[in-house]
Amino acid sequence: MEASVWEPDEGELPDFCRKPTLILGCGNILFGDDGFGSAVVEYLTEHRQVPDNVCLADVGTGVRKLLFTLCLSPVRPSRVLIIDALDLGAAPGELFVIDPADIPAVKLDDFSVHQLPTSNLLRELQETCGVEVRVLACQTGPLPEEVSCGLSEPVRSALPAAADLIAARYFTKHVAT
Amino acid sequence: MAKTIVIQPVTRIEGHAKVTIQLNDAGNVDTARVNVIELRGFERFCIGRPVEDLPRITPRICGVCPWSHHLAAAKACDAVFGVEPPPAARKLRELCNSVAYMEEHILHFYFLAGADFLLGPEADYSVRNVIGILQAAPDVARRVVKVRHLCAKMLETLAGKPIHPQAAVPGGFSKPLAVAERDQLRAQAGEALELAKFTIAFAKENIFPKYLDVVKSLGVITTGFLGTVKKDGALNLYDGQLRLMAPDGSYEDFPYDRYTEFIAEHIEDWSYLKFPYAKKWGSFSMDPDKPGGIYRTNTLARLNVCDYIDTPLAQTELEAFRKAFGRPAQLTLLYHWARLIELLYNAENAIRLLDDPEITSPETRVKVTPRAARGVGCVEAPRGTLIHDYETDGEGMVTNVNLIVGTTHNNAPINMSVTQAAKSLIRGGKYDQGILNTVEMSIRAYDPCLSCATHGLDGKLGVKVTIVDSQGREVGVLAN
Repeated sequence: MEASVWEPDEGELPDFCRKPTLILGCGNILFGDDGFGSAVVEYLTEHRQVPDNVCLADVGTGVRKLLFTLCLSPVRPSRVLIIDALDLGAAPGELFVIDPADIPAVKLDDFSVHQLPTSNLLRELQETCGVEVRVLACQTGPLPEEVSCGLSEPVRSALPAAADLIAARYFTKHVAT
Repeated sequence: MAKTIVIQPVTRIEGHAKVTIQLNDAGNVDTARVNVIELRGFERFCIGRPVEDLPRITPRICGVCPWSHHLAAAKACDAVFGVEPPPAARKLRELCNSVAYMEEHILHFYFLAGADFLLGPEADYSVRNVIGILQAAPDVARRVVKVRHLCAKMLETLAGKPIHPQAAVPGGFSKPLAVAERDQLRAQAGEALELAKFTIAFAKENIFPKYLDVVKSLGVITTGFLGTVKKDGALNLYDGQLRLMAPDGSYEDFPYDRYTEFIAEHIEDWSYLKFPYAKKWGSFSMDPDKPGGIYRTNTLARLNVCDYIDTPLAQTELEAFRKAFGRPAQLTLLYHWARLIELLYNAENAIRLLDDPEITSPETRVKVTPRAARGVGCVEAPRGTLIHDYETDGEGMVTNVNLIVGTTHNNAPINMSVTQAAKSLIRGGKYDQGILNTVEMSIRAYDPCLSCATHGLDGKLGVKVTIVDSQGREVGVLAN
């Protein structure tokens, strides 16, 4: 059976499938530094000119809704960047760019969309579907035991650097190979 | 030597669950417990805030069913303010609920549970995932994607945005529906109905018969059920009254705000998640041979408690379901079947609501005035009965909050089903990945929402099995 049985009409797929570059800010703004991804999207929107070929979205805690569609869509971006907060044992506010191929394929990573969102799925998206996938991760400070809005100072201070990194790599017409 | 098998996924903040299976000296299952650590502090966080903020805050509890929290919160606010939303607002809210249901039920059947059924529980982990489904059934996968996207577009049309909704407000709905929008939505709902019809026919022909033996044996327990019905006993997912049905099929109906008269919460020292139970049925017990106060929520429960479904196609399916499995149906994996009947109902219900001229009325909101009051809002979330219970002071500031989410109701039944599944599958200390995934299937049937956690994006629970001896020493690790 042919896989390309569905030829979508214009508008039948969302921007996040059709635009060449997709940047998703993930996290829960109610849990302190976990809101880093959402904060980066807000910062970029306020301080940068987002090119037309880029779909930039704060998906909060709802990233999986997009990723399912993205994985199975016949039309996909050529590059996807996931922005998230992670605990990698580094100094709070330190930034990392992670290639999903470098992450060990363990089932545990699929347990949560916040635990470096769905790394196995992102790896499959890259390896099977030919999409360049990267994760921009920020080391969090201690996460609050209870609901608490707002970033810690070290993580807030990382916002401009994260924006610079994203703009340099994704806000140009150059498409990485 | 007695062993303990621990199935333990690790998450960072949203939720944490592990399954501990205690083997006896013969290697058979003694007990099985699902230990859950949920979000903490959320209720406390809401205290001191203006109550009208809660419909905007609570959808961020997690990303799995934001619409359910949004609508339950809005209804609780209505009750706190003592107002009744205009008919159009009520219908718009119910329409949003039905569309969100379709999106969620499609997701669960095809992607989360679907991998088990389409690819088989024994399929290798590397292919038993979303991409595997695409490769196994590309036509179906893409049709599903198209309709899920349609549902997201419908919610965007109705509410301005599909994620973290804000459209329902105390006293109504912030955005009236234009006639042109209604016409567009009507066409989209028709397409969703076609997928719903296809899905249940597909499952009844290709999936359920193939797995009927598993359905009849895995995770089977006998419990009561809780769900929402209209006054005439019809299924409703947005509003009505609660019906608590005993295992023998007898039941009591009561309004939402009297839930504490019927439901108490038991605490176990090995889980942070409470265990709601029907307190009029006696003391709490998870002994599968003599359960006490145990009831279930979610799809199977709702179909059991309702007298009928007031849409024709879903009613036809309900009649066939009851003819095959009786009322109340107890087989745990029938949750999947019931989910598809609900999918059909929601598609039909969306069309019915859109065909109602009243839904385009510009009158969608009434004025509210702060007061000291208690208000209980309840909806049927895809994963079970969702209760928001608020109290406010004279300025409308929140002084007390209690939330019971759908999965919490099912805490005890999930534990019992896992125990039953483990006991039936693990004998003589022998187990493997296929067995562990089959145990997971008994949990997945409930479509639990331990925040986002229990659903891996590829449809599986994260599993790490640590085997320790009776002294707590690790003697082996088994992981996917």
